[in-house]
Amino acid sequence: MAPPDPRAPTTAECSWFCCGAAWGPCGSAGGGACGNCRSASRHCAWPNTSDNCFAITRPDKCGDTLLRRTCGHTFYVKNLCGATEIGVTIADCGPQTDLWCGERSCCSGNCATNRLLDLTPSAYSAIGNLSSGIMPVTIRS
Amino acid sequence: MSDILGRRRFLSSAVLGTTATVVAATTIGAVAPDAIADPKLDVEAGAPDPNFVEGRITGIVGGLLMVTGSDRTINQIHLTKATSVWKLRPTTSDAAKVGDGLYARGVRMPDGTLAADAIWLNIVNLQVHITSIGRSAMHLDHHGDRIVGHVVAGTTAAVYNSTPAVSDLSLLQVGKHAQIIGAWRPDTNEVDIATVYAAA
Repeated sequence: MAPPDPRAPTTAECSWFCCGAAWGPCGSAGGGACGNCRSASRHCAWPNTSDNCFAITRPDKCGDTLLRRTCGHTFYVKNLCGATEIGVTIADCGPQTDLWCGERSCCSGNCATNRLLDLTPSAYSAIGNLSSGIMPVTIRS
Repeated sequence: MSDILGRRRFLSSAVLGTTATVVAATTIGAVAPDAIADPKLDVEAGAPDPNFVEGRITGIVGGLLMVTGSDRTINQIHLTKATSVWKLRPTTSDAAKVGDGLYARGVRMPDGTLAADAIWLNIVNLQVHITSIGRSAMHLDHHGDRIVGHVVAGTTAAVYNSTPAVSDLSLLQVGKHAQIIGAWRPDTNEVDIATVYAAA
């Protein structure tokens, strides 16, 4: 399988996570693996930011060979059923892809499989509804 | 770009209370966040989002929420009849209470306030392991913190293996991982569960 993170878009599932100063159960989230993650900033988490990160997330167990992308790398993300594209930079390690191998999300008949990206609430809500919890997206570098 | 400019004019009018605009907003209903058209890369990658607010409600005056961000930033958020409100389920703006946590997305007004397209009250998205399951609640391990997840009759739903949401929670298993979308009960370690995603 060709590694995702191509110049051409690939599809994946995407959820959201909180980081930085926060309320409620998010209060202990901290600044993420990169130290600068903020819920109100256009940040994301990627499963292959380092060897230690990859050892936790294991996207390979789902058949995904992801390129190593480190803190600050920019991805462009679009809801599979939306027109708006946002830019996000890597600020954390995640999601734990191997827990959800084969999971599929669809919208209007367009589907994506496997969780390869998490977005901050700021980023997720720019292209989707936080209450949905997960959505199919296209990702490109 | 014309869409966002139109949206900005619409929300500005709603905040200013133009009668015709409010009637129109009521007729068409709330606008879902994913229906909002932003210009391409309206915010630089990695940058703080000026049209987004997180924090807790410290005061409510009419349709204006006073919000203190977790970083101590102060914001004022206008709610209009066009604002989409979520608190465990889609609801109305009177569900907002002092002490609630929130995320809000909208349009910045010239005076620095935010005219809200959408607010999510107390919403949490938790990656957990299920440690016990009772009739009306389940205990969850969230990165080492104990969370009590309450099952809300008529609201709580489960999504198993990407299948459509159902009210049957019987396939949830102790020891398994799950994702919980829910509403935090302020100043507790308890949440009301809207949706639990799990592998069956």
